[in-house]
Amino acid sequence: MNARSRTKDTAAEVVTRSHAGRAAERTGGVLMKQARHAGRGVLLFVDTCAQVRNVGSVLPQLMRQVEMAGFGSIVVLALIAGLTGMIMAMQTGFELQKMGLQENLGAIIGATFLREMGPIWCAIIILARVGAAMAAEIGTMVVNEEVDALRVMSINPVRYLVLPRVLALVISMPLLTAIADFVGLAGGALVSEAMFDVTIAKFKESAILLLNGPDFWYGVFKSGVFACIIGTIACDRGLNTTDGAEGVGRATTSTVVLSVVFVLVSDFILNAFIQAVMRPIFG
Amino acid sequence: MSDTTSRPRWGQTELELPVMPAAPPEGREPLIRIRDLNRHFGPRHILRGVSLDVYQGETLVILGGSGSGKTTLLRHLMAMLRPEDGRITIKGVAAGGRDLDMASASDEDIESYRRNLGVVFQMAALLNSLTVLENVGLPLVEVDRLPPEQVRERVVESLRRVYLPAEEILNLKPAALSGGMRKRVGIARAIIQRPRIILYDEPTTGLDPVTVNGVNELTLDLQKRLGVTSIVITHDMNAAFMIADRIALLYKGRIVACGTKDETRLNPHPVLQQMLTGSTTGPLTEGYGS
Repeated sequence: MNARSRTKDTAAEVVTRSHAGRAAERTGGVLMKQARHAGRGVLLFVDTCAQVRNVGSVLPQLMRQVEMAGFGSIVVLALIAGLTGMIMAMQTGFELQKMGLQENLGAIIGATFLREMGPIWCAIIILARVGAAMAAEIGTMVVNEEVDALRVMSINPVRYLVLPRVLALVISMPLLTAIADFVGLAGGALVSEAMFDVTIAKFKESAILLLNGPDFWYGVFKSGVFACIIGTIACDRGLNTTDGAEGVGRATTSTVVLSVVFVLVSDFILNAFIQAVMRPIFG
Repeated sequence: MSDTTSRPRWGQTELELPVMPAAPPEGREPLIRIRDLNRHFGPRHILRGVSLDVYQGETLVILGGSGSGKTTLLRHLMAMLRPEDGRITIKGVAAGGRDLDMASASDEDIESYRRNLGVVFQMAALLNSLTVLENVGLPLVEVDRLPPEQVRERVVESLRRVYLPAEEILNLKPAALSGGMRKRVGIARAIIQRPRIILYDEPTTGLDPVTVNGVNELTLDLQKRLGVTSIVITHDMNAAFMIADRIALLYKGRIVACGTKDETRLNPHPVLQQMLTGSTTGPLTEGYGS
C-alpha cells in the first residue's frame, strides 16, 4: 500500500514537474521572443537615425505623412482633449466645491493636462489612428512584395518607408500635444465658469500660479519620445509581417498592444527622469 | 543534357538525382554560375545542392512544383539571401566590372549587381500609393537621381517598349489598371535601368489566356531587342515552351533535369512528364488525396 502510494506521489510529481517545466519553457520562449523584437526595434531606430542625413531625398513622402498623421488627427484629438478637460473640470469641481477650493481648478486641470493627459491622449490617438495604419500599410507592402521590389531597386526601405513615417510623428506629435493642452484647458475653463463660477481669468491665474514654463516643454519632450516609440514599433511590426493577410492583422494588433505598453513604461521612466534630473536644472 | 534516359527505374533516389551542368557550348561562358547551393530554413532543407549555369543572352525557364525551392532560388538570385553553402558567381556585375561572388560580395558590389538586374514580380509589386509615372521612374529618381524631365522621358520610352499607351496611363494609380497592364508596368519598371539580367517570378500567374500570350510574346521580344539574359520561374508549361531556350526542372531542392526544349520533351523524368501531361498521379502529387 505504501509502495503504491509512493508510486502515485512520484507520478504526480513528474506530472507537476513536466507541467511546470513546460510552463517555464513557454514563458522563457515568449520572453526571448519579446527580447528579440525589442532588440530588433532598437536596431531599426538606430538605423532610422543614421538615415536622417538623407531626409532631403524623402521630403515628398515626409510631407504626405505629416499631412496624414498631423493634420488628419487634429479634429479628433481636439474633440477628445476638449471633452476630457470638461469632464475633469466637472468631476473635480464638485469635490473641490464641497471644500470651497474650486478656484484651484485651473492649477489641477493645467497640471494634469500639461504633464500627463496632453502627451498621453495624443499618443493614444496617434497610435490608434496612425500607428496601426502604418503597420497595416507596410505589412501589406511586404505581403505584396513591394518592399522586396524596393530592395531589388537598391532603395533602402528604412530610408524610403521608415524615416518619413517616424519623422512625421516626431514633427506632428509635439504640435498635436500643444493643441491638446490648449483645447483641454479651454474645455476645463468653460465648464469651470459655467458650473462653478470660476472666471476664465481666475482659472488662468490659478493655472499659471502652479505651473511654470518647463511643464509645457516636459510634456512636449515626452510626446517626441512617444512618437519615436510608436513610429518605430509600427514600422518594425509592418516590415516583419509574415503569413499574408492574417499576418497583417497580427502586425496591427501587436503594434497597438506593444506601443501602449512601451509608451506607459517610458512615461513612468521619463517622469522619474524629469523629477530627478531636469527639474533641479530647469525648474 | 542529363543522363536521365539511362536510368533503369524511378525510385525516390533516382527521382532526386541531381544533374550537373554540361560543359558549355564552344565560345560561350556562363554569365551566372551556381554551384552546390544549399539553404536551410530551421530544420527544413530547401535547396539541396543546386548547380546550374545560365548563359549570356539566353532565356532559362526554371520549372518546379509547389515547395520545390523555386522562390528560394530566386531570392538568392535577387541577392535577398546569401548562399549559406555553395557559390553563386555572376560575370562582370560587381563594382568596377569585376565578377560577383554572392557569398562574399560587399554592399557596394550587391548595389552594382542590382543596377544590372530587373525583377518582374508575380503580382507586379507596384507601389499602390504612387502613379504609373512614379512607379516606373522610382529607381531613376531614388537611385540615379535624374531630373524630372529625363525621368518622364525614360518612363514613356519604357512604357512604349512594353506596348502600353504611355501618355494615357502615366498619372493613373495601379488600382486603376487591369492585371495585364499592371504586369506590363512591372516589366517596364524592371527594364528602365537597362539591366543585363531580368528575373521573372511566375509572370503569367492570374492572367487570362490572351494576356498570358501577350506577356510571353513581350518576354521574347525584350530578349531579342535588348539582348538581356532572362531567368523565368514558372509552372506554366505552355509559357515555358514558348519562351525558353533551355528548361531546368527543380524538384525537392535539386535540379533534376536541364536541357533544350526538345530534350525536355523527350526526357522521361516522371516529375517532368507529370508537369507536361498535367496528370494528377505522379511524384508531385504523391501522398495527396485518398
